[in-house]
Amino acid sequence: MASLPKRIIKETERLVSDPVPGITATPHEDNLRYFQVTIEGPAGSPYENGIFDLELYLPDEYPMEAPKVRFLTKIYHPNIDRLGRICLDILKTNWSPALQIRTVLLSIQALLASPNPNDPLANDVAEDWIKNEQGAKNKAREWTELYAHKKN
Amino acid sequence: MGNTPTKLYPEGPTYNDTEFVNDADILNHKNYKNRSKNVSLANTLLNPNSNSMVGENYTNNTRQKQYSIFNKIDRDKDRKKYVKDREKLKEIHARGLVVKYDECCDGGFLAPFGCYNFDKLDYNIDIVRSLIIERKLAPFYTPLQDFDETWSREEIIKIVDGLPLHATFEENLEEFEDVPIGDLKKPNFDYLVDRSLSKREQRRQHAMIFKARLYRKRLIWQETANESFLEDKVDAKKNKIKNRYLPSDDLKYSLYKNGMECPICFLHIPGPLNYSKCCQQPICTECFVQIKRSEPHFPHEEVDPTKPITDDNSKDPNLLISEPSNCPYCATPNFSITYTPPTNRRTGIGGIPPSDYCEVAQNEIQKQEISGQEKENKETLGSPTSISASASPLSSSSSSSSGNKHKDIIISNIITSDDIRPDWEAKLKKERSRLAKRAANATAIHVSNQLVDPEYSLRQNSNTSSPAKYSVRGTNSKTKRKQLSLEELEEQMIKQAIQLSLEDQEKSKKK
Ligand SMILES: [Zn+2]
Ligand SMILES: [Zn+2]
Repeated sequence: MASLPKRIIKETERLVSDPVPGITATPHEDNLRYFQVTIEGPAGSPYENGIFDLELYLPDEYPMEAPKVRFLTKIYHPNIDRLGRICLDILKTNWSPALQIRTVLLSIQALLASPNPNDPLANDVAEDWIKNEQGAKNKAREWTELYAHKKN
Repeated sequence: MGNTPTKLYPEGPTYNDTEFVNDADILNHKNYKNRSKNVSLANTLLNPNSNSMVGENYTNNTRQKQYSIFNKIDRDKDRKKYVKDREKLKEIHARGLVVKYDECCDGGFLAPFGCYNFDKLDYNIDIVRSLIIERKLAPFYTPLQDFDETWSREEIIKIVDGLPLHATFEENLEEFEDVPIGDLKKPNFDYLVDRSLSKREQRRQHAMIFKARLYRKRLIWQETANESFLEDKVDAKKNKIKNRYLPSDDLKYSLYKNGMECPICFLHIPGPLNYSKCCQQPICTECFVQIKRSEPHFPHEEVDPTKPITDDNSKDPNLLISEPSNCPYCATPNFSITYTPPTNRRTGIGGIPPSDYCEVAQNEIQKQEISGQEKENKETLGSPTSISASASPLSSSSSSSSGNKHKDIIISNIITSDDIRPDWEAKLKKERSRLAKRAANATAIHVSNQLVDPEYSLRQNSNTSSPAKYSVRGTNSKTKRKQLSLEELEEQMIKQAIQLSLEDQEKSKKK
C-alpha cells in the first residue's frame, strides 16, 4: 500500500489534539485508514444516553471520495439499515473533498437527532416512522437500551 | 485489478459503477478489492467498445449462422486499429504528466507532483499546460509536507534543495504483480498475450499488459527527468556555472516563505494559490484538477417508502444527467476559480530565467512598473484581498507598461472545472446511447432467448417477481449491478454478444 497521504496524518493528529465532544475516532494499528468510532446519542433524541460503535474506512481516493462509514451497534433509525449502512447525502452524491472525518461524524450525530424518513435506507423502519412516529421513537429508545453502551 | 485502461478516456461505464454506497463489507479491504474486480469485469463486458465476442460463447444461437466470417475479419482489424490509436493517445497523455524541471513557470511546473493516483489525472493536459503558461492557473508546485514559521531562510533553502520533482513511485504495484511487460523498447507486445485464451480474455490481457507497461514507462520517464535535474544541480554547484532553469536561492526562499496550506490536500504550497470564485477560498492546482462533474447517472429522488422502487433499467436514458461540479467549500454549482499570478516573480516560460530571480531586483522592477495603489498588492500576495485589489479597473491608469496590459487579460479569467475536461458532454451522450441500445436489445434478447430456451421466460419471471429482494439494499441499479452473480455476468455477456452481432447485421445490410 502506498504511503499515507499527509492529509490523513494531519486529520488524525487533529482529531486527537482537538477532539469533538461526544465523538471518538481511533485509527487501527495495522491500517491507519481504518478507524474505530463511537458516537454518543444526542440529548433529547431516542438515542440519548446510548454510545454507538461505528467503523470508518478512508478509501484510496479519499478525500476525492467519501469515507465509508457504518454502524456496528444495532440501531432503529429510518436512514440506517440493519447492516448499519447509513443513508446520508454527504456520504454519497453531496460529498465534498473539503469535508473531513470530523464533519462526517458530526453529520451522523446530527442525523440521529433528526431522522429523515422520506429518504430512507431501511424501508420498514421509515414506514413505521411515518405512520406512527411515537411508536417508532419508543422502539428506537428500546433498542438503544438493549444494544448501545450505557453512558458512564 | 482487472480494470481496463478505459478510465483514462472514459467512454463506457466508468468508476461510477465501482463506487460503493456504503456497503456493509466495503470496510473489509479484501472484499472491497475482490468486488471491484468483479464489477470491472462487468464493465469490460458491458462496454460497447470492448467489441465482439461473437461466435465464442453461444453456439446455440441461431442468429450466429447468418454471421459472415469476412465481416469478422474486417471488424477485428478495425478494433485493433482503434485499440492502437487509443493506446497511443494514452501514452501521449502520460508523457504530458512527467514533471520536468526546465518546464517551469513562476517556480512551479506544468505537471502534477503526484499527490493523486495516475488514473485520476484524466484532465486535458494540453489545456492545463497552456493555462499555466498563460498564468491563468497556478502552476503545479512541489509541496512541503509541513512548514514551520520559525524556519530561517537558510533552513528553508536547504529543505527546498532536497525536494524531489515528483512523489516516489511504488516500484512493484500489486495490481501488476504477475503481468509480463516484455521489452519496453519494442512497441509491439502481442507476443506476450496467451493465445490459448479466448479472444475476449486475450483482449483483457492485452489491456492489462498495456497498463502495466505504461506504468513502467512513466516511472522510467519520470526517473530520467529526476536524474537530469539532480545531475544538473550537482554540476551547477560543483562548477559554479549558472543553470538558467535552476531556481536561485532567492526564488526558493520567496516561494515557500509565501506559501500556505491547501485546505484540501493539507500540504504547504507556494502562493498565490487559485481562489474559488464564489467564496474566495484557496485551492492548489493539483487539487483543482481532481474536481470534476459527476459521472452520468439518474437523478436521485426522494422516495416514498410505501411505494415500490422504480428500476433504473426501465428509466428513459435521456434522463441521465451529469451535474457540473459544486464548489467544495460552499457547494455553489459550477465550480470555478480565479488566479492572480505573482507580480514579483515571473520566471521560467514567459519570464526571466529562474536562476536570475533576485528579490531586490524584482521589487525594483515592480516599483517602476506599478502604480502606487497597486503596490500594496505585493504585501498581501496570496490573500484573497489581492484579488479584489487587482480587480479594480485599471483603465484609469495611464501607464502603458506591459505589466498592466498583462493584468488586464488575467482579470477576466475564470476557469471552470468543465474547461479542463471539455469532453464531458460527449461522455454523457455516449452513456445515454449506450443505455438506449441496451434497453432496445433487452427486448430482442428476451425474444431470442425464448426461441432458444423455453425455460428462459420462466426463470426471468421468477426473478422479476421479487422486487423486495432489492428494496432493502438500495435505491438504484448501481447496488444491484454489484450483486451480479457469475451466471448473471454470463448472461450479460451473451446479451452483449447478440447486440453486437445484430449491429453488424444492420451495418452489412446498409452496405
Ligand atoms: Zn491541494
Ligand atoms: Zn464556494
